[in-house]
Amino acid sequence: MEKNELITKLKSIVEPYIQDEEAFKNLSEETDFVKDLKINSANLVDVILDVEDAFDIRIENDEMEKMLSVKAAMDIVNSKLEAK
Amino acid sequence: MIGNDIVDLNTIKPNWNRKRFLDKVFTEKEQHIISVSENQHQTLWLLWSMKEAAYKIYVQQFGKQFFNPKKLVCYLSSSTSGYITIENETYTTTSTISKDYIYTVASLNYSENYTSAVFKIENDSYITQSESLKNRFFETISKSEGLNFNNLNIRKNILGVPKLFHNNSKLPIQMSLTHCGNYCGYVYF
Repeated sequence: MEKNELITKLKSIVEPYIQDEEAFKNLSEETDFVKDLKINSANLVDVILDVEDAFDIRIENDEMEKMLSVKAAMDIVNSKLEAK
Repeated sequence: MIGNDIVDLNTIKPNWNRKRFLDKVFTEKEQHIISVSENQHQTLWLLWSMKEAAYKIYVQQFGKQFFNPKKLVCYLSSSTSGYITIENETYTTTSTISKDYIYTVASLNYSENYTSAVFKIENDSYITQSESLKNRFFETISKSEGLNFNNLNIRKNILGVPKLFHNNSKLPIQMSLTHCGNYCGYVYF
């Protein structure tokens, strides 16, 4: 998927869970879900489930392990979409 | 090293009945403990807070982050005490369960004689909570250590691990802070 389209889609997925508006406004590939957006870890599970639903993919736990940033999420989503 | 975690049982989302949520977070054995327990909501968040508190020690100890709660495996020795294993490590946990919150402190050794407190804050915005928690913690430290409140500050390293400073010097105090919904807690030794 094209980069900007993917970021936009991820941005709408994380929105309900963010606790730092400023960091959310400036969301980029470098944004960290916990450190920057202050998403609590219980909600991080929700983010992952919502990503699975939105892209119709399944993320294994050892892949989820690295999903701490927008960039890492983009890489995983793209590799899953390519493998489809 | 020490880690703590609090869960506000009234504000946390009851998404635990999503089977996929359970599969991502809990081992089969843990899911069994939850499913046979009298209060599933409470048991689920008890196990969760144990994993979170232990994870905070793991990050300090090994300097790396990951997101895979299933790798931190819970064992309960009683309704409020237990331990967590991950790789070759074992962390002891002690929890407090009330109808409103669950609070867990994890430590590397049984012998660590820590000071821990939980309190309620009516305003649940992230920034207010974070500030009030820090202030409460500094008040306690300034009394117990005889240090000026205004000179205390917290610095986080790149992994987000907080360290307590007095002006520019790092204090020999291990600490952990947590907040969720309307509840906050600190622990140190």
